[in-house]
Amino acid sequence: MTRNVRISSDLTAFAIAAVLLCVGSMAAGQSAAKPIAITGGKLLTVSHGVIENGVLVIADGKIAAVGPAGQVAIPAGATIVDAKGLTVYPGLIDPDTTLGLMEVGSDENSSDLAEPSDEIMPHMHVSDAFHAETELIPVARLNGVTNAVVAPAPEDSVAGQDIFIQLAGKNRDEMILGRDVALAMNYGAGQRRRGGRSEYPSTRMGLITQLRQSLMDAQHYEATRDAASKKSDKPEDKSGEKGGDKSFQRDLKMEALLPYLHGERPVVAGVYEGYDVESFMKVAQEFHLKVILNHVTRTQEILDEIAAYKVPVIVGPIYDLPRPNERYDAVYTLPAELAKRGVKIAIASGEAGGPGGAHSVRNLPYSAGFAVAYGLPYDEALKAITLNVAEMFGFGDKLGSLDVGKTGNIVLANGDPLDVRTDVKQVYIDGIAQPMVSRQTRLRDEYNK
Amino acid sequence: MRLRLLPGLLFLAALPLLAQTTAPLPPADMVIQNATVMTASHGTIEHGAVWVHNGKIAAVGATVDAPATAVVVDATGKWLTPGIIDPHSHSALDNDVNEATSPVTPSMMMIDAFDNRDAALYHALAGGVTTELLLHGSANMIGGQAVVIKNKFGLSRDAMLFPNAPRSIKFASGENPKRVYGSRNQLPSTRMGNFEIMRQSFEDAKVYMAGWDAYNAKVAKGEKTAVAPKVDLKLEALADVLRGKLYVQIHCYRADEFLTEEAIAKEYGYKIRAFHHALEMYKVADQIAPTGTGIATFTDWWGYKDEAWDAIPWNAVMSMRAGIKVALKSDSNDHIRRLNQEAGKMVHYGGATEDEAIRMVTLNAAWIIGVDDRTGSIDPGKDADLVIWNVDPLSTYARAEKVYIDGDLFFDMAAPGFGTPHFSGAMHSAGGEGGEDGQYDGDGD
Repeated sequence: MTRNVRISSDLTAFAIAAVLLCVGSMAAGQSAAKPIAITGGKLLTVSHGVIENGVLVIADGKIAAVGPAGQVAIPAGATIVDAKGLTVYPGLIDPDTTLGLMEVGSDENSSDLAEPSDEIMPHMHVSDAFHAETELIPVARLNGVTNAVVAPAPEDSVAGQDIFIQLAGKNRDEMILGRDVALAMNYGAGQRRRGGRSEYPSTRMGLITQLRQSLMDAQHYEATRDAASKKSDKPEDKSGEKGGDKSFQRDLKMEALLPYLHGERPVVAGVYEGYDVESFMKVAQEFHLKVILNHVTRTQEILDEIAAYKVPVIVGPIYDLPRPNERYDAVYTLPAELAKRGVKIAIASGEAGGPGGAHSVRNLPYSAGFAVAYGLPYDEALKAITLNVAEMFGFGDKLGSLDVGKTGNIVLANGDPLDVRTDVKQVYIDGIAQPMVSRQTRLRDEYNK
Repeated sequence: MRLRLLPGLLFLAALPLLAQTTAPLPPADMVIQNATVMTASHGTIEHGAVWVHNGKIAAVGATVDAPATAVVVDATGKWLTPGIIDPHSHSALDNDVNEATSPVTPSMMMIDAFDNRDAALYHALAGGVTTELLLHGSANMIGGQAVVIKNKFGLSRDAMLFPNAPRSIKFASGENPKRVYGSRNQLPSTRMGNFEIMRQSFEDAKVYMAGWDAYNAKVAKGEKTAVAPKVDLKLEALADVLRGKLYVQIHCYRADEFLTEEAIAKEYGYKIRAFHHALEMYKVADQIAPTGTGIATFTDWWGYKDEAWDAIPWNAVMSMRAGIKVALKSDSNDHIRRLNQEAGKMVHYGGATEDEAIRMVTLNAAWIIGVDDRTGSIDPGKDADLVIWNVDPLSTYARAEKVYIDGDLFFDMAAPGFGTPHFSGAMHSAGGEGGEDGQYDGDGD
């Protein structure tokens, strides 16, 4: 890494820091045998404020202790990582990505973004397409993103079921922390695509009717299935086998909707316009869906209504363009306006107009920082890319803050994590120091000789 | 510096001159003081002042010797930079970016599509952008001629043109032309076809020029029967490339293609002003630096297509260290609003100094367009294109608070409504993200 010398003294410092850190810890992929004590850094705990001169101990891949210097016992034999002058914070979590569903954007062969043959596709499982070895993941990880939700592109009313991933691991099974953690839904102009105007559904009326019918079909399916199951329990049933009427045919599509109709897991509803939010929420309330709203970048007129729904919101991309005759900051100020109304918000990395982030995931912290520029309190911004995301998707007890017992996903940076000028120096995932390299750093080093 | 304020008097004096806009005319003299002044040409001045006289920068320094009648803008705690300049935009063209009916369309004039009420101009203005190069798209190997605007949102179309700016023409290479025409089973469908089209075009232009040279010679000799050749707008534009009258701006990604483009330019005797996108420049920066060609590049967009797969965010700084003039650009109605942050990333990716970073979106961008003698830095004699920021413009938290063009206030965050003293009424929108490449579905159309 000393090749970096010629690019700048800053990178030299980076190289030295990285070497020191690597020497002190362990090679990537090995399990964390020795405890690690990160000392002297400024800890952004997210859950309980800032500790200026803090100590964070990781043991067995989990956070074992957090506190001010002098009040935390450093275990004997621990590897000491000197974080003086550095900021220490929990790994960032991107709530809306397409990581592992695409590689080169224009290459259809590597793209598994959406199944557009029908609007209602709840039985599409992102876990079946997730390409764990994508080159995009190390690029995102280098900027401190350790976890992400992966969702299909917003082409269908019901696009499929999301996964929750960790951005490190030997293979897919290690990297997927949760399968089918949420149902990706969308409503608005983008889904009314059938054969121009000649095929159903070609309007929002069609989309909503189709959705309502599908949810009712699933309820009916469940009732039929349960009846078949009961029938098989009756003494006159000669089969005597458990598992119900063998002649009953499972419908995977209908079955996929049931956990969401039961409110067991959230649906993530991608909606942009205020009036579309209102239409969608009517259906959601009718079927008691547990909703996380996504985008809402054109809802300035109904922010109080959104707050009254008492649902969490993934707001943005903050880079979505305002309408022509809106003030330039109509979207920039949305995270602040929603947070002010008590809405639990998350922020994603996506680019304006696009699906969830992929190549842009590394810019997640800057989206949050930009929201701060337009009025979002700093603490809320940091939460919106850490703890709030973990909580929305069922990982609040494991991720998103520097608290004892949580996973050792820790980032060390030379400054404010939300600022574009800040360098991430080291990323730990499961308490393991990740190699700070990507395909891009390798290219840099190759041509920087 | 002590000044006596007479803004009221100045306002009254200006009233009779108001004709087209409702905003007061800018004061003859204005001083912005107590700012952290990033000059882009000669470092940063803490607690600095800039004196603006009749729309031009009259002085800059720790103190300035302005007349007592100057209007004072106190910028205590604020930052002052030159206006941000975007050397690659397709904004405000009502999506008429590509005349994709032929791979050679040099007579297309982007001014003909310019919509001066497009909201994208306003959004960019609110991000501190004062000058833009509006380019033809990249569907054609030889596209159309650009228009340079000053972002005086609210003024007439003509009043927004950058006076006497050099003419630029857009060339392209690589995936976009070959996809656009290849998909129609036309030439070009390969990079071989791409470059051969260029060579043939310049061969045609040489014949055309020879015809005119012969005619002009006859006229000079007094031959009254000489008949002028037909004026062919397409060949005339190509001839102007060969005559060195057009700045050549080339959309180009791959290392090998920079070398081919330079070889063709050498063969036909024209200069390339800049490679745009230029994401693989870091691979051949040492070879390209001696040609004097600059680059206008993205910071960290990558992977959207094959020729963007080897993009690395250190490209800009690595190329700069090799001696290439580097500017950052948006190619996007989104990114154009925060080019200052893109510059900030250069501190992160490669360790640019703040001075180097701000230059990439001001003075160097002005150089790409050829207006660096008029704007792009805070120096006496230059146009007073200035932005006041709440904090360091290279940080994520920066907001443009006031934007001046030629000394006139065109954006004021604190003003009601849009914050545009010169604009009222309704804006237009072309829709879409206004970009070509780098967008998720960047399809070069």
